Amino acid sequence: MADPHVIETVDLCKRYGTTDAVRGLTLQVPAGSIYGFLGRNGAGKTTTIKMLFGMTRPTSGAVRVFGLAADESHSSVEIRRRAAFVSEDKDLYDHMTVEEMIRFTAAFFPRWRRDLEERYLRAFDLPAGRKVKALSRGMRTKLALLVTLARGAELLVLDEPTSGLDPAMTEEVLQALVQHVAGGDTTVFFSSHQIAEVDQIADRVAIIDRGRAIVAGALDDLRERYRRVQIVFDGSAPDVTFRSPGVERIERNGRVLSVLSSGGAERVVEEARALGPVAVDVLPVTLKEIFLESVVTES
Amino acid sequence: MLWYKFWLDTRWRFLIGLLLLGGSAFTIVLAYPRIMQLMPMVPQADTGGELGRRIREAAELSRDYRGYIWSQWFRQQPTQLGTLFAVLLGTGGLVSSAGGGGLFTLSLPVSRHRLVAIRAATGLAELLAIAVVSSLVIPMVSPAVGHTYSVGSAIVHALCWFVAGAVFLSLALLLSTVFSDVWRPLLLTCAIAFALACFDFVFRDVNHYSVFHVMSGETYFRTGALPWFGLFASAAIAAAALYGAAVNFSARDF
Repeated sequence: MADPHVIETVDLCKRYGTTDAVRGLTLQVPAGSIYGFLGRNGAGKTTTIKMLFGMTRPTSGAVRVFGLAADESHSSVEIRRRAAFVSEDKDLYDHMTVEEMIRFTAAFFPRWRRDLEERYLRAFDLPAGRKVKALSRGMRTKLALLVTLARGAELLVLDEPTSGLDPAMTEEVLQALVQHVAGGDTTVFFSSHQIAEVDQIADRVAIIDRGRAIVAGALDDLRERYRRVQIVFDGSAPDVTFRSPGVERIERNGRVLSVLSSGGAERVVEEARALGPVAVDVLPVTLKEIFLESVVTES
Repeated sequence: MLWYKFWLDTRWRFLIGLLLLGGSAFTIVLAYPRIMQLMPMVPQADTGGELGRRIREAAELSRDYRGYIWSQWFRQQPTQLGTLFAVLLGTGGLVSSAGGGGLFTLSLPVSRHRLVAIRAATGLAELLAIAVVSSLVIPMVSPAVGHTYSVGSAIVHALCWFVAGAVFLSLALLLSTVFSDVWRPLLLTCAIAFALACFDFVFRDVNHYSVFHVMSGETYFRTGALPWFGLFASAAIAAAALYGAAVNFSARDF
């Protein structure tokens, strides 16, 4: 039976000198998913991605892609044959033309999709004869995406794919990604600190902070599990603790006590009612709130 | 296709090197009649020390055309400009590259050993082309000044230049896998070459074993025999540096 997880890391650590870039990261990325990897700048996203491609070796822990150990030289070549990577800087060869860059990349991938190459060349309106160094940032991103998508890769790993792009260009890039994935069995793993774009296209998400995954799961499941319970009192809100599982954060603000729960709202509501409040409201929580609350709680 | 990327990275250094060294060979040959006219003035020069000795030796060697070509070209250009271009052709291209794309290269399905091997092969091929083509300019242009120069001799000198030059190219490539910028490998290798040249200049008695002695083909010029020991030693050092580059590049984090 094929491995259901395209990417799997177990207690992954990477230390640079005295700095822990990644510390005990455990992730599982299911095949066919669009997986958003959220985190603040410097949270360890890029280091993790580099470890997936064997560019950086873990200090400890395991990292497997397609079931292959990414830190072994031979396996890493095989992983790079089946997966594609777009770096945050859209690192391409400045002295090549768009056409040369495409031909160069195609030579390494026997499953190169000429039809996709032509489709994206037209859709992205890329000037074939222009040097890469003369392309705008948006055009550069599109070219990086073209040489990634046309490989016929089973896994796309994108590090901040829309960084530096204007909203229109961001939308265009995201739509291209979604359409590409909809037409096949490709898994997408993309890092971002743009919550809106993760919310827009991801079906699963992991929030990483200071090298550790603090939240991970299906986006719908997270939206379902996370609830904010607002409890309003006659006078000042009491300084209380909740025994219900999943209480992430409690905030007192005048007469209002706000409880963020990652384990549903029922038990919290029961406990809240016992405190004799004027009103108890259960509110949905956005991904942005989950992100901010998780990161703040960790800090 | 990797060779094409590395060719694009280094083509301007290669073309400029070819033009400069080929041009200097061309100029040295065409200057021969004029130098011969000035030759009677040389014994009057009263310069002492190492400089005077070198001037007198060059004048002595220049009394015949083969000696002139060796003292004015093979002895000087490969060891000076040739070394500089060997260093330039070995610098960068793997991760530190003027053309960018370091992470893109690392994301290709190619082992790091293969990357180093193709990068080294591209640089060595360019160095060989510079050595052979600019050396062949001499036999080709010599009839224009009423002389001949053996194609075989030119090829042997080019071979000595190439093998000894490979030491500096490989050293630059090794340092390019250590440092992430282009400048430190370039400057450090140039500094090493300069230090070796100074050592040669000061310790003339032992310079038979120096890489510049091999590069200039002095043994071949004076005795007609190839400097086998020097060639093998240079090739071994270059191979060791390239092996070190491959090992270091494979072990690095990016």
